[in-house]
Amino acid sequence: MARQLITGPNFSGRSDALRVRLTAGGPAFFVGPYAEAALSGLASTAADELSVYRADTVPQRAPFAPLDFEACADRKPQSLSGGEQVLLALQCFSQSTYGAIGIDTALEQLDGSNRPQAIDFLSQLDAGEVTLIDNRMAAPPPGWSSTACTRGTPGFGCDLAGLMAGLGTRAAPRIVIRDLDFRYRRGVDVFTGAALTLEPGHAYRLFGRNGAGKTTLLKILVGVLAPGRGEILLDDQPCAPWRHGNETFALATQNPDHQWCGATLREDVGRRRAVLKTSVDASRVSDQQIAAAAQKLGIASLDQHLYELPLAARKRLSWLWPLSGVMPWIMLDEPTVGQDRDTCTVLAAALAVFCRHGYGVLFVTHDDEFAGQVPHRMVSIENRRMSTS
Amino acid sequence: MTPNGAAIFVAVMLAGALVASEPIGFSLLYAVIAAFALVEVGLRTFAALARSALVVLPLAVFMALVWVGFVGRSPAEIAAGVPGTRVASATYVVVVCLRLFLIVLATQLVTLRFERLTPLQFICALRIPTTAKRLLALTLSLSETLRHAVERARTALIAAGVITRRPSLRNIINGWMLVQTVWLSAITIAVGRMRDKWPIEGTLSRLDDLFQRAQPQSLGSGDAIWLLLGAGAAAFGIGIGIA
Repeated sequence: MARQLITGPNFSGRSDALRVRLTAGGPAFFVGPYAEAALSGLASTAADELSVYRADTVPQRAPFAPLDFEACADRKPQSLSGGEQVLLALQCFSQSTYGAIGIDTALEQLDGSNRPQAIDFLSQLDAGEVTLIDNRMAAPPPGWSSTACTRGTPGFGCDLAGLMAGLGTRAAPRIVIRDLDFRYRRGVDVFTGAALTLEPGHAYRLFGRNGAGKTTLLKILVGVLAPGRGEILLDDQPCAPWRHGNETFALATQNPDHQWCGATLREDVGRRRAVLKTSVDASRVSDQQIAAAAQKLGIASLDQHLYELPLAARKRLSWLWPLSGVMPWIMLDEPTVGQDRDTCTVLAAALAVFCRHGYGVLFVTHDDEFAGQVPHRMVSIENRRMSTS
Repeated sequence: MTPNGAAIFVAVMLAGALVASEPIGFSLLYAVIAAFALVEVGLRTFAALARSALVVLPLAVFMALVWVGFVGRSPAEIAAGVPGTRVASATYVVVVCLRLFLIVLATQLVTLRFERLTPLQFICALRIPTTAKRLLALTLSLSETLRHAVERARTALIAAGVITRRPSLRNIINGWMLVQTVWLSAITIAVGRMRDKWPIEGTLSRLDDLFQRAQPQSLGSGDAIWLLLGAGAAAFGIGIGIA
């Protein structure tokens, strides 16, 4: 049994090394960081996803089933949270006959309970090969070897301090959420009578198990989802972004490809700015400033096609709009997934700067080390309620 | 009823709907589908009716506007070179809509009848060649990819404030961006899947394994009754049409 951790910074060729290793020995199971790389894409339900991979003979490995997917068999795999998708993929592997598995930063999305279970499961496999890329793992677990990648790809910097040069102060609105009820169609209740107050000038970390409703809350705030009941107040004024549109929150989604509004960076930013053209916010950054900010992330031109960038670069670029300072509240969903430690440190420092300038910051992460670098208050989501500490 | 029987039943109803043109032919087909709904689907039939109406209504309005409102003649009258009437064009619109409604309703009812089966379980139960099963599964996969792309693009544009969740003027102005974003998302999802996951795993070969393990069901007596009723109604419709 060979278990290997591939280490190295972003753009050092870790993913390439993982692919080479996996393809060398015949078909291997692959779990990437996002849905199209974690799920087969052949199944309309969680039950079908399991059946695609289930072996007709009992696999010679311990089962891995931290979530009861049989109980929510008709849920669409794409509608699962990022962490749940990874857990489903690992359960599929545990029931399959694949001898090898490769995981590209996907375990970074797992919560504090599921992540150790997943690593234990991989550590206890009796046969085959495990290859893992994981930025949250400082050293390989006992019994694992490690390979360091050092090949650098020039061009993708992460000068967030430079990006924020000239950032002005801002009086972000105070957010009050009252009596929030939400449930997905054919799903369970996510929030029941939930309440929350978010003060400007502070960073809040949304914390909860995989599937607790962290991303759901962000989607409600930007108007993607409409609550069944409840109200949101911005500086005591009622706000219904699901009805009137979002003009307060700049969201960087967990999967950066869930946030692009066009094919190129120019299209993406242009469309966002066009919506704000009647408000004072639009004057906060010009095209030139956006282009200069993009260069700090290694993007030479606004005409860069977004999907031609490596995933880690797209993830960094997804912070551009939130960190441009146009919107008063910054929301980052799992910003550290796929990002090396140096980048996470730089991002944490940037978020602290935004808070000092009067912006509000709301972020979701399972990375305690990253969260520890951002002075923040904790918002726990548990039992369909939210509590601040 | 078995999935095989249901698939043939839908095919028979589809054929019947395509050839029926007289009121009696349609009446018989609708009588059979009503009996099927009552016996096999029960109260959930109302959901099927609502969904079918949702599909057919926009087409009905559009066709009525074009054929009755603007053209004022039926296609047959145009072909024959006679002046024609709005009554004839309205009849044509009604017949087309009745056909489509019947086809959609039959499909919806069978879907509801087997809603306890997952799509792949349904495909596995069909007694058709593996190639056809693979084609069905990939078609489903493509359809799910498109749905996911729509969801992804909506999320992006709503979160950016480019469109709103509820109907709005902004949506009318920026709706075309949704189309572009959906298309871009669908392509990149598919490309992403085929670049990493599928070649490393040989994921598609998993489907073949799944289909080989499956044990297709044979037609049962329940199937025979519905197939006979459906075929009888369709044949009667054809006979009336010829006569």
